[in-house]
Amino acid sequence: MKNSRLILLFSTLFIVSSLLSACAGGAGVATSWPGLTVDPSQKVAYLADAQYVYAVDLTTGAEKWRFPTKGDPKVTYYAPPSLTSDGQLIAGDYNKVLHSLDPLTGVETAGKQWPFTQGTDRYIGSSLVTDQTIYAPNENNYLYALDHSGNLLWPFETQAALWAPPVTDGKYLYLAAMDHNVYKLEAASGKQVWSSEDVGGAMVGTPALSSDGVLYVGTFNSELVALNSQNGKVLWKAPAAGWVWASPLLLGDTLYFGDLNGTMHALGLDGKVKWSVQPDSATSHRAIVDKALVVNDTLYFSSETGTLFALDITNGNTRWSKPIGGKLYTGPAAAKDLILVAPMGLSTDKGNTLLVALDSSGNQKWTFVPAK
Amino acid sequence: MWDTLIINPMVNTLLWIYSILGNFGIAIIIFTILIRLLTYPLTVQQMKGTQKMQEFQKSKEWEELQKKYKGDKQKLQQEQMALYKEMGINPLGSCLPTLIQFPIIIGLYQAIIRALAVTPIQTLDLYGHIYPFINAAKLIPINNIFLWMNLSQPERFYIFGIGIPVLAIVVVVTTFMQSKLMTPPAQPGEQGAQMAQAMNLYMPLLMGYLALTFASGLSLYFVASNVVTIVQYAAMGKVEWSNLLPGNLLPRNLFPARKQSAIVQSKPATKPASTSISKTSTKPAPRPTQKRKTPVKKAKTTTKKGDA
Repeated sequence: MKNSRLILLFSTLFIVSSLLSACAGGAGVATSWPGLTVDPSQKVAYLADAQYVYAVDLTTGAEKWRFPTKGDPKVTYYAPPSLTSDGQLIAGDYNKVLHSLDPLTGVETAGKQWPFTQGTDRYIGSSLVTDQTIYAPNENNYLYALDHSGNLLWPFETQAALWAPPVTDGKYLYLAAMDHNVYKLEAASGKQVWSSEDVGGAMVGTPALSSDGVLYVGTFNSELVALNSQNGKVLWKAPAAGWVWASPLLLGDTLYFGDLNGTMHALGLDGKVKWSVQPDSATSHRAIVDKALVVNDTLYFSSETGTLFALDITNGNTRWSKPIGGKLYTGPAAAKDLILVAPMGLSTDKGNTLLVALDSSGNQKWTFVPAK
Repeated sequence: MWDTLIINPMVNTLLWIYSILGNFGIAIIIFTILIRLLTYPLTVQQMKGTQKMQEFQKSKEWEELQKKYKGDKQKLQQEQMALYKEMGINPLGSCLPTLIQFPIIIGLYQAIIRALAVTPIQTLDLYGHIYPFINAAKLIPINNIFLWMNLSQPERFYIFGIGIPVLAIVVVVTTFMQSKLMTPPAQPGEQGAQMAQAMNLYMPLLMGYLALTFASGLSLYFVASNVVTIVQYAAMGKVEWSNLLPGNLLPRNLFPARKQSAIVQSKPATKPASTSISKTSTKPAPRPTQKRKTPVKKAKTTTKKGDA
C-alpha cells in the first residue's frame, strides 16, 4: 500500500516536471522557423533549421551537405544564411556563435578569426553582407560589424534585441530595432548619425529604402511607418490589420507587406491603400510573417495556414493557392523557374519536409526531406 | 478552451500589471499574490476538508467500525460512507479544491512563460493571446531584467567569475520550509506520514532542479508562491512552526521500511532504536517497527496508543 503510494507520488512528480519542461520549451522544441537563402547561380538553396544548415541541390532537391555533420540538440540554427562575395556562407546559431562555412562543402572556415564568438546571445536575424563587411544583428542588443576574416570592426548597441539586419545605401546603415527606434549609422565606423523618435512599436523586419531616401518599416503597433532617411523624421504611418512582422517589399511605386492578421497590403509611396486582401479569413491563425516575393506580375506570400498564395500584383486577386501543409512562416524564395517554400512542422512518413519546390503554376516539382 | 478560459485572462492580467509597474519581476510577484488571493477560499475549503478527514480517521467510531467489519470490506465501505454523512464530511472535500487549483497553477506558470516571449515562435504565439485593450505595442519587448536577473534565462549570481544559483537555492529553501510548515505532526501509525516525509525531501529538490534549469521568471514565481502559501497558512493558524526546529528539520526515517526491517532482525521489538529519533519527538521509537511486524489489529492499537 505504502509502496504503491510512493510510486504514485514519484510518478506524479515526474509527470508534473515533464509538463513544466514542455511548457518552458526544452531541447527539441522549435523556437523559430527555417531560414532560407537561395544562390541561383550555383543552383543551391541554403536552409537553416534546428540543428543543421543544409545545402540543397535546386535541380533535384537532394542534400549536398549539412553543417555540422553531427547535430547537437543544444545548438540550433534558424537565421537565414548569408553569402559573401569572396565565397563564404555566414550562419549564426542560437548558441551565440557566428560561423563561416564553405558554401561548396559546408566545411567551417579554419583559422583567421572564425568563428566569431563575441556575441553573447542568439543570432535570430540574418547578416547583411557587403563587399568589405559583415553586419550581424544579435539578440544581445548589439549589431556587430566584422571584416570577412571575422575580425570585429565595431559593435553598435541599441536598447533592445535585434532580430533583423540593417539595410544600406552603401555609405550608411539603417537599423530597425525592437526598442522602437530606427538608427542611421555610418557603415564604416558604426557611428550613430541619428536615432528616430519612438515609432510606436517593436520592429523585427529590415526597412525598405527607396531611391529617393525614404525608409519604410513595419511595427508591432500594426502600422507601416515611412521615415526620412536624412533626419529620421516620421513622414507618415499607414495602419495595418495586425502586427507587421515582415519587411515591406518595395517595387516601383508600390509597397507590399503582410500582417499577422493575415492581410496582404499594397500601398502607394504616399501611404494610400491600393488594395488589401485577406484570403484566409476562415481561420484566426493566418499570420503573414515573412516578406512577399514578386516574380513577373505575380505576388507570392506564405501564410501560417500552410498555404502559398499567388496574387495578381495589380489588384490582389488570387491567381492560385497551394496548400503545402505545416505552417508557412518563412517567405517564399525564387530560384529561376522555381518557387521555394520552407514549411515548419510538415511531417511525412519519410520525416520532416523542410523544403518544397513548385513551378510558377503551383505544381510541386520536388521536396526535400533530410535523412535522419 | 484552455487558452480562452485560463491562459488568455492570465497573460493579459500579467501584461496589464506590467504596464502599470513597468517591472516584470514585480509584476510576476504581484500577479502570483493576486492569483493566490483569488484561490484563497479554495485553500480554506481544502484545509477544512483535510482537518475533518484527519479527525475522522482518529475518531473512535471509525476505529470501532474497522474492528467490527474487519473481514467485510464492502460493508466497511458502506458504513464509512454513512459515517461520513453523519459527521458532515464530504470525502472529496480536501482533494476537490486542490484539483480545481491545479489548472490555475499550471495556467499561471504557462502565462508567465508566454508573456516573457523571448523567441520568434513565442512572440508570434503571444500575439494571438493579447486582448485588444492591452497596449501590447508599447509593452513589447518586455524588459526581462529584474535585480541581477534576466528573467528569461536561468539565474546565476557571479562572484569572482563563479556563477551561484542564488534563486534556485532560495526556491529549495522556501519549498522545504513550506512543506515542513504545512505538514502536521506525523503520527507513527499514519499511512500518509511516510509519503509526506518523502515529499518534504524530494519536492524541494525537484523544484530546485527546475529553478536551476528554467527561466528565472519561473523561479521567481516559485518563491513568491511558496512565501504567499506560508503566509496564508500562517493566517489560518495552520503552520507547524515547531517543524522548523533543528531536531525536526530532516525526516526521522527516510527509508523506514528498510531500516525497520534491519531493526526487527537485530533488536526484536523490545528496545527502541533511540538514535534514529529526534530529541523533540514525543513518539516512542519502536512503534513503526511494531506496526509493520504485527497484524492489522495490533497496528490499530498502536495508533490508538500513540494518539492517547
